[in-house]
Amino acid sequence: MNDLELAVELLRDTPTHENRTGEQLRSWAQTALEYGDELADTDMPVDIQVVEREGGVRKGELLLAEHQRGTVIVYTDALRRTEEVARERGWAVTRESLRRAAVAHEVAHHQLDVRELNRRLGHTARLGPFRLRGHVAGADEIAAHRFAHRRSGLAVSPLLLTAALAGRN
Amino acid sequence: MGIAILILMAVGVLLMLTRILPTAFALAGLALGIALISGAPLTGAKDSILTGVLQNGAVTLAATMIAVLLGSWLGTLLDQTGIGGTLVRKIVEFGGERPAVVALGVFAVSILCGSITGSAPAAMLAGVVGIPAMIAVGLRPVAAAGTVLMGISAGSPLELPVWQFMSDALGAPVSEVRTVMIRLFPIAFVVGIAYVLVQTRRGARHAWAVQLDRPKARVRRGDAPWYALATPLVPIVLALGFTVPIVPSLLAGVVYALVTTTRWGDLNERALRSLYKGFEVAAPPIALFVAIGMLLAAVKLPGAKTALTPIVAAISPSSPIFFVIVFAALVPLCLFRGPLNVFGLGAGVAGVLVTGGIYPMTAVVGLMASYNQVFGVSDPTSTQTVWAAQYAGVRPERSMLSTLPFTWVVGLGGMVLTAVLYL
Repeated sequence: MNDLELAVELLRDTPTHENRTGEQLRSWAQTALEYGDELADTDMPVDIQVVEREGGVRKGELLLAEHQRGTVIVYTDALRRTEEVARERGWAVTRESLRRAAVAHEVAHHQLDVRELNRRLGHTARLGPFRLRGHVAGADEIAAHRFAHRRSGLAVSPLLLTAALAGRN
Repeated sequence: MGIAILILMAVGVLLMLTRILPTAFALAGLALGIALISGAPLTGAKDSILTGVLQNGAVTLAATMIAVLLGSWLGTLLDQTGIGGTLVRKIVEFGGERPAVVALGVFAVSILCGSITGSAPAAMLAGVVGIPAMIAVGLRPVAAAGTVLMGISAGSPLELPVWQFMSDALGAPVSEVRTVMIRLFPIAFVVGIAYVLVQTRRGARHAWAVQLDRPKARVRRGDAPWYALATPLVPIVLALGFTVPIVPSLLAGVVYALVTTTRWGDLNERALRSLYKGFEVAAPPIALFVAIGMLLAAVKLPGAKTALTPIVAAISPSSPIFFVIVFAALVPLCLFRGPLNVFGLGAGVAGVLVTGGIYPMTAVVGLMASYNQVFGVSDPTSTQTVWAAQYAGVRPERSMLSTLPFTWVVGLGGMVLTAVLYL
């Protein structure tokens, strides 16, 4: 599966999109990937603190990194687990490139403008007579994955890695 | 004899805590034990074990059971017609750029769901789409679960089956229960909003996280028409605004949901299917209410009343200030299926407080409703807390730690209200 197909699957698994048409999801996925590309090409100053910690391997969840209030926490045990999964599949993924991707993913969330992304996606939410520009849940995640791929030099797409970790491919 | 009954109650709590016996079975066993210790005769027309406790006790909460069944039917319809899911999806679509707006919107939907039905079905109605949606816009998982739970609990004072339960269990007129509940609602509502704002003010949290075994979101059922989204308001508007009795209010909600979402030719099938599903949803609380009815009948037996009243009277604070201090300090006893859980042994304690004339009826309603506000959100053994926490990917105990400071304030507020108004 290529990134576009994986991004469509990500959207399809996101609550609020279960019944949208494949065509609609594909269009949104494409726009989100392009926004991630554009963001990766933009040279913006990054003022972010990175800390490493154990504790990302949890019951029911693998947490590689999280970002809040300008700090990125990278979970080293989750990176090790991801590296193992990648090795089993024959993907040449190093711990360092994974770490760079994890940090870049959170930097993307720090930098991306959700309103601008929604404007480009052009979704209109409707409720009876009311019509407003709508939010597309999950699109920012796709842009962040693409940004991380471009910035980290990871051998495989973070979207593919995520799908593999979730057992979807 | 009183001490023996208290020891038996402690054993009952232990059996429930350790999950050796399901709550309903433990309560029914307690009812039998209390009746035996009280010296009740096995047979007889009244105040006997077979007739007074088992036969009459089992149907004491019959009206509550019907209300719970109708609430479950309406909750099932909210799910099957897509009304619940549509409400949450619209909130995400309209407010997804601002996590606080999404969280407040899901909180509001949870209030509506909580005013219709309780426990895990209410949490699922709001949470199946709401919890992952909140996480997706940057709420921490524990806060996402807590937002749904705080919303359901804030809706609980407006939940008609809970009014019926309080009325049946304590013998209070529904009008008095309604008065207490309406006054409790603003406290739960304001503190719930405070919880959401405190959680969202911590800043959006984004993560590269992979859910390994989260249950799949349910299949989307299509958007319900916008005018159908008013369904959760129908019963509460009728009951509050027009003092329509509880059962017809809930039935009106069922009819409104069906008429606004279902084609004429499909009405019968959908109505019947959802009703049968409602029976499934209502089965656990109804089993509990049968047992609670028996327990209430047992603690009202003359022997039990004579034995327990002096003890409970001696340890119950009489001044309003001590009433608030003591019962607020005892809040943890409504958690973990403790003795002040109103949907458990707490119902028996409330029965003793009422039949012994220790506090006015409305004060006991206020006290138990206050504990219910804490139990409904923070108890890590209650089905809604377990479901919401696990669906968000956190342990129920973490959810308890996140919400308890807020629910304790709601409980305290309810007790202050009770002391000021009714003592």
